[in-house]
Amino acid sequence: MKLLKSFFSFAFPLVVMLFMFSIYLVVTKVVNNYKNNIINDYAIVVIANTPLSTIDSLAGIDVKDIEPLSREKIIKNVHKNLSDTSIELLQKKLPYFYKIYLDEFPTTLKLEQIRKELMTVSNIKKIETFSNDHNKLYSLLILVQNIIFILFGAVLLLSILLLSKQIKIWFFEHNERISIIQLHGGSLLYSSKPIIKIILGSALFSSILACIMLFVVITNIQMIIEPELMVLIPTVLSMEMEIFKIFILSIIIPLITFFGLLVKYKLK
Amino acid sequence: MILAKNLTLSYDNKKNIIEDANFMIKEKEFIFISGSSGSGKSTLLKSFYGGIPIKKGNLFVNKFDLAKKSDSKLLQMRKDLGIVFQDYKLIQEYTIEENIMLPLKVHNYADDISRSQVKKLLKHVKLSHKIGAYPAELSGGEQQRVAVARALAHNPSIILADEPTGNLDDYSSDMIWTLLKNANEHLGITIVVVTHRIPKDMGIKYRRFNIEEGVVYEAS
Repeated sequence: MKLLKSFFSFAFPLVVMLFMFSIYLVVTKVVNNYKNNIINDYAIVVIANTPLSTIDSLAGIDVKDIEPLSREKIIKNVHKNLSDTSIELLQKKLPYFYKIYLDEFPTTLKLEQIRKELMTVSNIKKIETFSNDHNKLYSLLILVQNIIFILFGAVLLLSILLLSKQIKIWFFEHNERISIIQLHGGSLLYSSKPIIKIILGSALFSSILACIMLFVVITNIQMIIEPELMVLIPTVLSMEMEIFKIFILSIIIPLITFFGLLVKYKLK
Repeated sequence: MILAKNLTLSYDNKKNIIEDANFMIKEKEFIFISGSSGSGKSTLLKSFYGGIPIKKGNLFVNKFDLAKKSDSKLLQMRKDLGIVFQDYKLIQEYTIEENIMLPLKVHNYADDISRSQVKKLLKHVKLSHKIGAYPAELSGGEQQRVAVARALAHNPSIILADEPTGNLDDYSSDMIWTLLKNANEHLGITIVVVTHRIPKDMGIKYRRFNIEEGVVYEAS
């Protein structure tokens, strides 16, 4: 009973932390999915006096493609209302239009930076970012992602405190065994083997529980979020990589806490 | 071999428990350390396995200078010692077999070799029938025999025993003395025993150090 209680005292904060982490991973996945969807439709239009040379990246974002807009098409659209001389003049004076496609959807800040970078190109006259349509929802999603990340950070800190407290209790409980093994020449790490075993057991248990909770959330997501937000959720929300990340985190955080305490214990 | 040069020991840096001790314990010797209660005999023994820091002087155990100890070297040095305590210091969660196997595991002996060594030792201390029992199921005398078996398991060069018969009746005490004598006579292990009660008829050659008011001297 005592062993079970101490096992759960360790596993509980770990599960909470892992669940928070999995929520963060889901939100990140949703944001990335939204970003990928809108980036296919999104382009910045620039008007230049002379043909535009190649641009590799803007504000640190790779430029996927620069597509020139057909000048003939533009002239064709307006030629009915113009005389031949005006059309000839228009052909000479009409600037060059380009659509710039990016590798990822930029944030408002990045857009401002992109605008500034493009303005430094001497032959560019005008820039249209068309960002307002997507930007509000995108910013909101980024805000939610950041809030969850901060919450995850806070839960992580609290969990580490609780984990270290429980590991200290285990060290205290195993103190006699540890000192006997050390009297026989066993190292502190060797004598702490039983504690490492409990930690790894708890970590495995916690990662399984957190994955089950994540699975329950994903399969019932339509009950959790508003129906109008369902468009943001990908139809297939594959989480294999995320499950792997949860598992790795469940092992790494307790072990780092353990080794931190081990060093402290050794220094004492 | 244990060599003390101007050895001074203190727990709190104020009062010295052992002061300016000079002595040498040669290989294969049987040594008793005696003195009145609180004289510092257990403290002196403790210093032999690095259980107390050295305030002044030098203490060499198997050529290892305990005054300049580093953690890893200290553990290495302890691997060549067997230690027996008055309160046995057996791990309660381990069976008798696992307790005796402990030094062998620390030495990375293969499991089958360790098990056969444990069987031999349990036969030697007449506890073969208790192999799977836990320390709490054994009497004080039996637990101390297990502690002696554990101290012998890895064939150390020195066995340090702190009041090994302090809590035992005469019958169990005799068995422990016999085991220690045999280890010294037949295996050539140096034995250092702290005791206030030296058995009358040891039947082997031994030396005795006495401690009085922090001064260590060889008694006749």
